[in-house]
Amino acid sequence: MNTNLVDVRNVTKDFHNGKITVNALRGLDLAIHEGDFLAIVGPSGSGKTTLLNLIGALDIATSGDVHLFGHDLTALSRRERAELRLTSLGFVFQAYNLIPVLTALENVKFVLELQGIDGGRHERAMSTLEDLSLGELANRRPNEMSGGQQQRVAVARAIVSRPRLVLADEPTANLDSENSEALLRMMRELRDRHGMTFVFSTHDPLVMAHATRVVTLLDGRVASDEVKNAGEEVGSAN
Amino acid sequence: MRDLLLAKLALRTLGRNPRRTLLSIVGIGVGCGIVLYMVAFTRGSSEMRIRAISESGFGHARIAPATWEKTRDSDLRLVDWKRDLDIAGSMAEVEFAAPHSRTTALLAFGTCVTGVEMVGVDPNVERNISRLVRVLSEGRYLERGDEGAVVIGTAIADRLEVELDDDLFITIAGAGGEMKYAMLRIVGIVSTGSRTIDGTICHVTLAEMEHLTGYLGAGEITIVFRDPSNIDALTVRLQERLEGTDPVLSWKVVIPSQGGDMGSDTVFMNLLMGVVIVVAVLGVASAQLTAILERKREFAVLIALGMGGGRIVRLVLIEALAMGVLGAVAGLAMGFPFIYPAATSGYNFAEMMGGDFVTEGVLFDPIIYADMGMWLIPLAFAVALFSTLVAGLYPAWYALRTNPTSALSLREA
Ligand SMILES: Nc1ncnc2c1ncn2[C@@H]1O[C@H](COP(=O)(O)OP(=O)(O)O)[C@@H](O)[C@H]1O
Ligand SMILES: [Mg+2]
Repeated sequence: MNTNLVDVRNVTKDFHNGKITVNALRGLDLAIHEGDFLAIVGPSGSGKTTLLNLIGALDIATSGDVHLFGHDLTALSRRERAELRLTSLGFVFQAYNLIPVLTALENVKFVLELQGIDGGRHERAMSTLEDLSLGELANRRPNEMSGGQQQRVAVARAIVSRPRLVLADEPTANLDSENSEALLRMMRELRDRHGMTFVFSTHDPLVMAHATRVVTLLDGRVASDEVKNAGEEVGSAN
Repeated sequence: MRDLLLAKLALRTLGRNPRRTLLSIVGIGVGCGIVLYMVAFTRGSSEMRIRAISESGFGHARIAPATWEKTRDSDLRLVDWKRDLDIAGSMAEVEFAAPHSRTTALLAFGTCVTGVEMVGVDPNVERNISRLVRVLSEGRYLERGDEGAVVIGTAIADRLEVELDDDLFITIAGAGGEMKYAMLRIVGIVSTGSRTIDGTICHVTLAEMEHLTGYLGAGEITIVFRDPSNIDALTVRLQERLEGTDPVLSWKVVIPSQGGDMGSDTVFMNLLMGVVIVVAVLGVASAQLTAILERKREFAVLIALGMGGGRIVRLVLIEALAMGVLGAVAGLAMGFPFIYPAATSGYNFAEMMGGDFVTEGVLFDPIIYADMGMWLIPLAFAVALFSTLVAGLYPAWYALRTNPTSALSLREA
């Protein structure tokens, strides 16, 4: 049972806004396996972002257990959670992803610097960008790139240190379908090549089409969990 | 070079809103410039005050009889003035040690009479410590071995209608309480440029004074230190050397009104500087807090990526320090146009106040110069960096508390 990358057990999460309490998650169970290319879908407000925050060690559950790589997240200190995020997780956010005053290359290098990796940062960051065909963007700042390009650089940053799990909250929400397609192909390829695990929250049918597994949330619980044909390759149908 | 990108990030962030950064730098610069100016002026005027006091014959400190501070009785004499003089003279930090003895005397010539405080001096040393006796309008100053000789100020000479080589008739109260009389020849007339001072000078040799009064020895030893910036500590050191026979009093005790003036000047200046620094700190803090509120999402992303608290704080403080460095440069640039003329041409206080610039026997320079030197540079950096660092603490703490979940959701955008 420790083969699960992530184990979410009977988790609730309440938010208190003044006198109003919102039960964002209401007894949610979910196991995420190595190599999953998992889309979490569900209507707005169903708890997708809240769940990613918990899995990503950015927030703590009100009750229940969240295990990440075997660590009980509720037992970790703030600092330990930061360390875990730094070394084992990659994040791609919906927007405002990249640090605006750093170039694409520097944004990617920054993660390596935070990890305290001294030697070969430049080469590693550059080869990651080149692997993702982003080499020519290396010296551009975020405001000199399109939204699609920024998101792809964000993926490069998320994977440069080869994290075991990449979390992405509605990564295609601000992209047109062409850019979304490119982004998803890139991530799917990384998963296929390196066995990385990806978890998305999304409304986007395109994401669901690429996913190997689709989990639907409704009112803070898992309403359905559908494993699609693992061999299914979107786009190979044409 | 681990945090190279961190520094880059901090510096480029400052460039992102150049107007705000510039305003902050100007703010620090103005505050820093004002502080520099005030320190330069305070240092200049206190240096001036100490020099004026010292060169008016008061020295930097004085070995005085035990009860002198209370009674101010000029007829008191030191327990063992030769020993005191030897000890003071053998101290490397002491430049001059000048023995003095005093008494109240009545000078008469013909039908004119005037009362003065007569001072017994060692002429060779006196010439070194007092600029008052260096300018003679007629004759010469005293010399060791002079007998029956006196040097007086021009105002006294005018009052008594005497000239060089006239014999003055002196009346004093002797040690036994009896009246004593003597004739002294005027060998020199001193002209200091101040009527007030010239109305007080009446010098004879120490030996003459002993002979006249019957009080033996010196009533005080005036000390001039080599380093006038360190008077208080040196006074204590000299006191230790003397092993407590006669007390050593700094000029602040000898002329309490001057000491008090300088004390209150310093307190006032420090208070003013404190206010300036606090205002600058608050201004920079609020500007930086605004900057951080605007970058909330950026901090959320950084924290989400796993950037630790130490680095977040460092990031904010590097930004603050960078502004501090530029603020120090701005402060020097803005302070210089004010400090330079104040240090070279000075301020003429005599013009403002009119007349002599004399208090309690101290002849002041009418022009006060600010003190300008290389020390302004480290001071500028110390003031600016301290201010920005303090100003950065709250914003840094605020950045540290950014909730990383706001990076993922657009809720708090
Ligand atoms: N920080 C918060 N404060 C208050 N309510 C919140 C907060 N975060 C989420 N919620 C509430 O929790 C519920 C789930 O939100 P969320 O996880 O963002 O849903 P989704 O991402 O599926 O749209 C919503 O009702 C939302 O209003
Ligand atoms: Mg959401």
